[in-house]
Amino acid sequence: MPLVELKNVSKRFGKVVASSNINLRIEDGEYITILGPSGCGKTTLIRMIAGILEPSEGQVLIDGKDMIGTPIEERDIGYVFQNIALFPHLNALENVSYGPIVKNLTEGERHNVSNQYLNLVNLLDRMKMFPSDLSGGEQQKVALARTLASGSKLLLLDEPLSALDARVRVDLRYELRRITKNLGLTVLHVTHDQEEAMTVSDRIVLMRRGRIVESDTPEMMYRAPKELFTANFIGETNLLDGVVVSSGIERSLIELRDGSIVEAQPGEFDPGDLVVISVRPENVRATDEGLNSTIRSISFMGTYLRITAEADSEDILGFDVHVARGMDFNVGDTVSLGWVMESALVYPKPPGGIAEAVKLE
Amino acid sequence: MGPGNKLVELISGKRFRKGWTALNIAFFLLFVIIPTVYILSYAITDWSEIQEHVLSDPATMDLIIGSIIVAFEIATIVTIIDFVAGLPLAWMMARKDFRGKQFLDTLIDMPLAVPTAALGFSAAIFWAVTPNPPPFSLATISSPMILIILLHVVFSYPYMVRSLTAILGGIDETYETAGRTLGASRLTAVRTITLPLFRAGLVTGAILCFARSLSETGGTIIALATLYGRRMVEGDFHTGPSLIGFWKDASVSDPTLIPALSFVSILLIILALVLLLVLKIVIMRVRLPLRKVWPSPEKLLSRGLFPKIKDTSAIIFLIVIVLIPSFFIFTYVLTANPVQADWSPFIDALLTSFLVATIVTLIDLVMGIPMALYIVKNKTGRLSQMLDVLVNVPLIVPTAALGFSLGLFWSNFDPNASFPLLLIILAHVAFTYPLVVRNVVGAVEGIDPAFEETARTLGAKPIQSFRRVLFPMIKGSILAGAIMAFTRSLGETGATLAVVANANTAPVYIVELVNEQSYYLAAMACIILIIISYVFMLLLRRFTREEVV
Repeated sequence: MPLVELKNVSKRFGKVVASSNINLRIEDGEYITILGPSGCGKTTLIRMIAGILEPSEGQVLIDGKDMIGTPIEERDIGYVFQNIALFPHLNALENVSYGPIVKNLTEGERHNVSNQYLNLVNLLDRMKMFPSDLSGGEQQKVALARTLASGSKLLLLDEPLSALDARVRVDLRYELRRITKNLGLTVLHVTHDQEEAMTVSDRIVLMRRGRIVESDTPEMMYRAPKELFTANFIGETNLLDGVVVSSGIERSLIELRDGSIVEAQPGEFDPGDLVVISVRPENVRATDEGLNSTIRSISFMGTYLRITAEADSEDILGFDVHVARGMDFNVGDTVSLGWVMESALVYPKPPGGIAEAVKLE
Repeated sequence: MGPGNKLVELISGKRFRKGWTALNIAFFLLFVIIPTVYILSYAITDWSEIQEHVLSDPATMDLIIGSIIVAFEIATIVTIIDFVAGLPLAWMMARKDFRGKQFLDTLIDMPLAVPTAALGFSAAIFWAVTPNPPPFSLATISSPMILIILLHVVFSYPYMVRSLTAILGGIDETYETAGRTLGASRLTAVRTITLPLFRAGLVTGAILCFARSLSETGGTIIALATLYGRRMVEGDFHTGPSLIGFWKDASVSDPTLIPALSFVSILLIILALVLLLVLKIVIMRVRLPLRKVWPSPEKLLSRGLFPKIKDTSAIIFLIVIVLIPSFFIFTYVLTANPVQADWSPFIDALLTSFLVATIVTLIDLVMGIPMALYIVKNKTGRLSQMLDVLVNVPLIVPTAALGFSLGLFWSNFDPNASFPLLLIILAHVAFTYPLVVRNVVGAVEGIDPAFEETARTLGAKPIQSFRRVLFPMIKGSILAGAIMAFTRSLGETGATLAVVANANTAPVYIVELVNEQSYYLAAMACIILIIISYVFMLLLRRFTREEVV
């Protein structure tokens, strides 16, 4: 059963460290996304699992067997490439048959397997067409069928949707999860798109600068991120600078730069600690009593308006209002902003500053 | 508005540009294509001569047909050897990173710096069984055919490796990796995916090698003369081109040879065109079998010892078959007894050669770059597609036949060869011009036209967008074309002799020395030629690299 384990894996390219001391365990049948900004080392990570790259240090185990030194073709993995990489000189059916052919299946088996998977992605009617005649979405579906037809139980997806149009991307996302779950495959899906990660995966592994930041279910990553970087990267959030007044089991009281006091989740801080508050825009409301702020801009987002305001504490706060209430707000108006205590998370202020802690590069 | 701006305005005008294009095409037709195929008209005007002196003379016919068959056999074998031995090296250059790659890269090009006359002599004294074999020479080859095959491999091999490397570098490696993630061993993936994808490179490489072998005259004559130890005579082993060279020489005293000479040239030109067309179609049409898969033997060959053996033998091939024969002449000079001689005729010849090569290269650049741009920018136009095909003709016509044709054409205007230098320059332009055009066309095709379009939207005139945007990007290919043109001109023997029988260029002088068996002097002359052209190439490279546009 495919169970992937990385133990203390590091990869260096000259002086550049692409992966640093990675430990990760993926259970059989799990759908995992590896999420992170570009250049964070996520592709390097699955390339090491596939055997396209060998780690500088550490172990890669598949089904408990150490894979170091095993060539790509003997690892029994399926790999879907970001640039799709359908063989341009073969038509759709020949592309899908490639795995069964090189694995020396009989003529009958080849035919059955190729047709079965082409059917699974609803492209049987396109089987005689060459990649250049297929749309981007169809190409990636053929590529998926090709990978599945090779019979591997472990699927590595390297930004499989990023080359596609926005709508196709969203449709194919659900398709991917449905098909792989039906087949009971173990999936590692690399993406830089946090929305994609949240909608498809059982578990998200968030990476930054070659390291794993944290790993949890999409819901927990969104609602209770353990790291400031996670809070900022997954979803949207407002970050406010503050100093702890008191912190207990019920709530924390934080003083902002203009002296106003706000409520936040309980924590184990001492009075005087420098902290950062994270509160998502959808949790910020215009209230009668709260932070005195001036509206700087209003953007139309479809069903809601995103309003950006500057509090007297100099913190910038974004919040959402329903379109129907849009008339009440104008740029330059003064509003009072607040939130329920539970929705405000508190993190120790990073020594390098907030901007450095949430920077994507 | 300064005078510079006025000039830019003037040459950006529509009428000027139209006129310039017309001039370019006229130059190409008048100075390159028509002289090249002029010989074909001889078949129409003087058919009776051919009938009388050639077709009705079985001995001459046998000689002609035999030599042409030999030439095609040699070209075929050479192309196959080049491909088999060149592919692993091209693979290493395109796909692997290793210490000394830069060094290997220059080594591959080294034979190009050696004029073919010098190459022919150097390879012959290394391989051939001669009465007094020089120390360290192998002296094992007594068959003229094998000797010529070995020689032709030396100077066509770099072309093959270069073409294959360029195309391989352009193929996304992901395809191969994708094949391997689907369970194909490295060898299976290469055979079923990468090889079919790089047919175009295969065609280019094969055509270049085939044409080079089929057309080479100077080096072949020298190598044969060295093997026989004397000037060649009628009954000797002859390839088509060497027969032309031989008859051309002899026709000075015996004009009855002209019809035979014309006939063999015409045959070679037509056969070369037909065969290359066929070659192109065959390679593009034939599909490599995907259905046939041999997983276990291919898997076995993909790992362990075999790839190492393959890489090592590719490098050994490069060293033993290509490099040592090219530069064996240095060993020869070091071990032979020095001979005192008068060097002034050689220095004269050398200066003539450099003068010719420089002027020829300049003409090629000035007339060839605009032509290449025209071909690429009007890709869909019928005229430009036709020009694109026609440009190749001088490349695949044997230089000896080409030279003879050029000689016939230009002697209409200057029957007594009173301007020999001009004739030589015009002849050299015909077969070096396509090298510049091909290289520039290849480079410009690979560049997104959006760059130039952006420059134009920013207000640049066409000439400015070329100079500031396109030129810096294709500088490397222009340089490559210029180097090829320059060295081809510097090393060419056959065409030179065919235009002006008593021409005074360095390679012709070396042929004379070999014919007189003044081997030591010939070797010294070769070395001087090699060193000067190598230094010249290095300077050219540095010069163009430092100039930041």
